[in-house]
Amino acid sequence: MTDIRHVAAPPATPAAGKPRRPIFLRRGPMEALAVAVIGLGFLMLFQPFALVLYTYSLITLLTGTFMFMIVSKFPE
Amino acid sequence: MTTSDHTYADKAAEAAVRATPEPVARRLRSLSDKAIAWLFIAPTIVLLLAINIFPLFWAVYLSFTNYRANRPNAVVQNVGLGNYSRVLNDPDIWASMQTTAHFVFWTILLQTVIGFGLAYLIDRKFRGHAFWTTLILIPMMLSPAVVGNFWRFLYEPQIGLFAYAVSFLTGIPTSEIQMLGNVHLAPWAIIIVDTWMWTPYVMLICLAGLRSIPDYIYEAAEVDRASNWRQFWSITVPMALPFIMLAVLFRGIENFKMFDMVNLLTGGGPGSTTEVASIALKRDAFEAWATGRSSAFAIVLFVAVFGLANIYVKALNRVKQR
Amino acid sequence: MSAANSAHSVVEPGAASKRIAATLVILYAVITLVPLVWIFLTSIKSPPDSISYPPKILFTPSLEGYCNLFTTRTRQTPEYIAALPEPDGICDAVTRKRNMVIAGPSNFLPRFANSLIIAFGSTFLAVGLGTLAAYGFSRFKVPLADDLLFFILSTRMMPPIAVAIPIYLMYRQLGLSDTAIGMMLLYTAVNVSLAVWLLKGFIDEIPREYEEAAMIDGYSRLQAFRKVVLPQATTGIAATAIFCLIFAWNEYAFASLLTSGSAQTAPPFIPTIIGEGGQDWPAVAAGTTIFLVPILVFTILLRKQLLRGITFGAVRK
Repeated sequence: MTDIRHVAAPPATPAAGKPRRPIFLRRGPMEALAVAVIGLGFLMLFQPFALVLYTYSLITLLTGTFMFMIVSKFPE
Repeated sequence: MTTSDHTYADKAAEAAVRATPEPVARRLRSLSDKAIAWLFIAPTIVLLLAINIFPLFWAVYLSFTNYRANRPNAVVQNVGLGNYSRVLNDPDIWASMQTTAHFVFWTILLQTVIGFGLAYLIDRKFRGHAFWTTLILIPMMLSPAVVGNFWRFLYEPQIGLFAYAVSFLTGIPTSEIQMLGNVHLAPWAIIIVDTWMWTPYVMLICLAGLRSIPDYIYEAAEVDRASNWRQFWSITVPMALPFIMLAVLFRGIENFKMFDMVNLLTGGGPGSTTEVASIALKRDAFEAWATGRSSAFAIVLFVAVFGLANIYVKALNRVKQR
Repeated sequence: MSAANSAHSVVEPGAASKRIAATLVILYAVITLVPLVWIFLTSIKSPPDSISYPPKILFTPSLEGYCNLFTTRTRQTPEYIAALPEPDGICDAVTRKRNMVIAGPSNFLPRFANSLIIAFGSTFLAVGLGTLAAYGFSRFKVPLADDLLFFILSTRMMPPIAVAIPIYLMYRQLGLSDTAIGMMLLYTAVNVSLAVWLLKGFIDEIPREYEEAAMIDGYSRLQAFRKVVLPQATTGIAATAIFCLIFAWNEYAFASLLTSGSAQTAPPFIPTIIGEGGQDWPAVAAGTTIFLVPILVFTILLRKQLLRGITFGAVRK
């Protein structure tokens, strides 16, 4: 569920010239990834199947949250 | 924006300085915009640091110790990650997370479906819709604890209105409608009250989403002879989705830490069938007094909520752009 | 439905679809209000009426619930009661009919007063601090403003029980346990985040030109804030205050964990109202009614601002 309006609306990046930043330095996709990691952390926290997944949910949630905080500083 | 702002402010300050006697002018000049900004913001930040952040760091510290609040004079030992490893390997706490998940899932599903449905109906703008909307909104403003407490009376199997209504409609004898005493029904008792209370919340946000869809999109769809069904799924739902997400995220955060209603309706019982994370944490912290371990548990909950809060603020900003 | 649609304007729903919508919405509204009506009805029932089966809709109203809410009673022998002088007041008479005499006032009034003091005190502080901070964020370029605003909001999201553990220890150290001041500070901290976010939205809507004009006329920044911005923001400040008031009024988790006696508020107290042989439901309902009426009034006053309040000012319409 990436934000379509963000991609479509602002003419921030001039079409010609400047190469785009590599994907792992762009905000949109990386934010989506961080959200996915947080979501995964919640699934691990909530799932009733394997204790080991629950055990590692905290570290997953922490990773996702830190990642989100960092990548949300990236430019579009 | 800043530059024009500054020049404006500077000019204004200059004007003010010229118009006032010397000592006052000096004070005015010395109190720059920057100083005012910090002077205005600092008290709030200081309060939050003192009441929220300092305790949080204290909790982080405690989570690495074996401190017990009921034995303040005992020697405090550093136990490293021991508390975390216990909390994250404890099957009971794991079970409380699943109970929480069960609540979060069903309350959000019900509230979103009913809330969106209501919003869609109210958006038909029938006569008197504003009046009925206000009436529907009342439950969400009330105290979950005080009203939740009264639901215990409605749920009483022999005398309660809920049991009577259900048995009237279904013919099941009231003695079998033990909403709070039956292990299968108790979780649903809480889900029903939560849904009753918070559906208006989801409805209100969905309504804003529906109203933010410009008419011309529907008009264009009408020109294209798109069916109502098609319009609903390819215009209404996607356009209202950011708002729905906002409501879902906030209800998710709130219900993840649900405490008031559960504590009053069932207190976690019968057995531990409704022991959600907050109740388990309360028992650990304020009944077992395992302060160190419960601090670790609290940090786990905090990290989860903090992660969601980040996403929530992103959702807020997205909605704000409309 | 589509036929009805095309008869009118393209987006205006047809009459039939409106009628169906109205029926369903009104049905939902009526069902959703039943528990609230039941609270009120129970509060004016006598205890036997309140627990009769099937539940009674028609009954003789009684003030017993309200009497029991405000008093404590002791059971006496009929002979003792017969020997008493004439009852003074309705409550006295009602109580004697149950072979009891009023022993004294209950804790409800002091708890209710605590709720009032703590809710109003914390609202005042939160709105005061929030107005200043919101103005700061709205009008000046604050470094890391977005991060600070997020930090402020995130404090509101914290799970209360998780916060209560260290707060409990801290208040024990500072001697703030079970004090109105302690609860006020705590609620201020929780509410100030809402106040900052909401008020920032309201102040953003006041054109900067007003202040700038005032400052060109010789006002200082602070004077412009006081004489131009504050009057313009009155509606917003009032709405924010009501939201803070409602939160502090309704709060239960902190109150139940951190107060037990002298600073206990009404929400943790009301569930503990018991009569002989269990919960005294008419009295609980009476307390609940008295507790809910102010919120009911505020909700109706606030109806146009509710959306803003629940989305931290993000959705304005």
